[in-house]
Amino acid sequence: MAYNWNWGVFLQPTATGDDSTYLDWMLHGLQMTVGLSLSAWLIALLLGAVVGVLRTVPNRWLSGLATAYVEVFRNIPLLVQLFLWYFVMPELLPEKLGNAFKQTNPIMQQFLSSMICLALFTSARVAEQVRSGINSLPPGQKNAGLALGFTLPQTYRHVMLPMAVRLIVPPLTSEFLNIFKNSAVCSTIGLLELAAQGRQLVDYTAQPYESFIAVTVAYLLLNVVVMSGMRWVETHVRVPGYIGGK
Amino acid sequence: MISMNKVSKHYGAFQVLTDCTTQVHKGEVIVVCGPSGSGKSTLIKCVNGLEPFQSGEIIVNGVSVGDPKTNLSKLRSTVGMVFQNFELFPHMRIIDNLTIAQVKVLGRNPEQAREKGFKLLDRVGLRVQAEKYPGQLSGGQQQRVAIARALSMDPICMLFDEPTSALDPEMINEVLDVMTELAQEGMTMMCVTHEMGFARRVASRVIFMDQGRIVEDDSKEAFFGNPRSERAQQFLAKILHH
Repeated sequence: MAYNWNWGVFLQPTATGDDSTYLDWMLHGLQMTVGLSLSAWLIALLLGAVVGVLRTVPNRWLSGLATAYVEVFRNIPLLVQLFLWYFVMPELLPEKLGNAFKQTNPIMQQFLSSMICLALFTSARVAEQVRSGINSLPPGQKNAGLALGFTLPQTYRHVMLPMAVRLIVPPLTSEFLNIFKNSAVCSTIGLLELAAQGRQLVDYTAQPYESFIAVTVAYLLLNVVVMSGMRWVETHVRVPGYIGGK
Repeated sequence: MISMNKVSKHYGAFQVLTDCTTQVHKGEVIVVCGPSGSGKSTLIKCVNGLEPFQSGEIIVNGVSVGDPKTNLSKLRSTVGMVFQNFELFPHMRIIDNLTIAQVKVLGRNPEQAREKGFKLLDRVGLRVQAEKYPGQLSGGQQQRVAIARALSMDPICMLFDEPTSALDPEMINEVLDVMTELAQEGMTMMCVTHEMGFARRVASRVIFMDQGRIVEDDSKEAFFGNPRSERAQQFLAKILHH
């Protein structure tokens, strides 16, 4: 195979004429991926926690609503959801708001659509983890909280959620990892995140191996960071004398 | 203190409680026994509204449990309950298990609550374990903590739902001793238990249930000496001869 390896390509100035290098492009992509994924993750955690809790409450309307939410966002392909948020949603908004959206900086438009899309998609999955965590607690825990005079919200707050959240740290870790990987889908609406920068690099330099190896390594490194972070969380919330505890 | 009048409950077509009527007076210790599935636990959980019931009436200290206008949380904070599986909060230290409801429900200040918590731990002989987590204690110790936790709310009466059923035989006595002491101090108690020795020693009355009905409701002397129903005779014959 006659392939000319050239790892020096990353240090070359880009063909666009400004004084950035291809490495700068990759780093920008990485920044975008991290910024997008982290902001979407925060929203997903909050929303997912609320929806997950609602799925377990005794009120049929609330739990039904939460179930519908989960089914909608979990069962439509991520790519389709992204197109809906980016292409369709601005048209459905009230005219003023839609126009305001369309007049913002295009990168902002892509970022916002991507963030909302990833956040809601992931929140449905987080909600399921939260629900399973709550449901896996011994039923007596809720009764014990109520019997002490806690209201139902207090029982969730002080008794059920602290344990449920601890139980679901491992599955949440994989959701957290997923959101970084799923963010690559957002390159399809033109958002220049890590994967898109890799593709662009190929177009400009004709060095596909170096580009995609660099992208792969960057994703792997990201995942290592996330995993060690979550492992730290896991050991820190461990309950002595309980599963996984000392 | 607790008065039940024709309490009935069903899950769908399945009748769990039928016309249960009884009174518990201040300072009385009532032991509720009967075969499994007879509705003992359900009955006791109706008292503090953990189990809803469809008809009849339960009045606890003048408050109707079944009335939708009743503030159940407030009522429950005055009724202590101890569960078969202890149900301590595993993510909190023992002392925090004893203070959280005092602070969050009764609005006591944390220092006061801790002081009371330590006093109660002393009383059940577990002060040295205050900083441990529930999972690091034996079953008997956890159940004593659970009793202390219920007492931390200064309840007007206590409900026990098979407090010794999940314990190793060696640990049953340490829990029964705490309960006996409590009874002797005049606490109003309703205990679902199979510990007939405990019933003989401290019960004022024994309620025997079968298939969701209160079959016998009698003084312990009458119940152990000469149970009226055949079902209670069979039950006693079985559990006293092993």
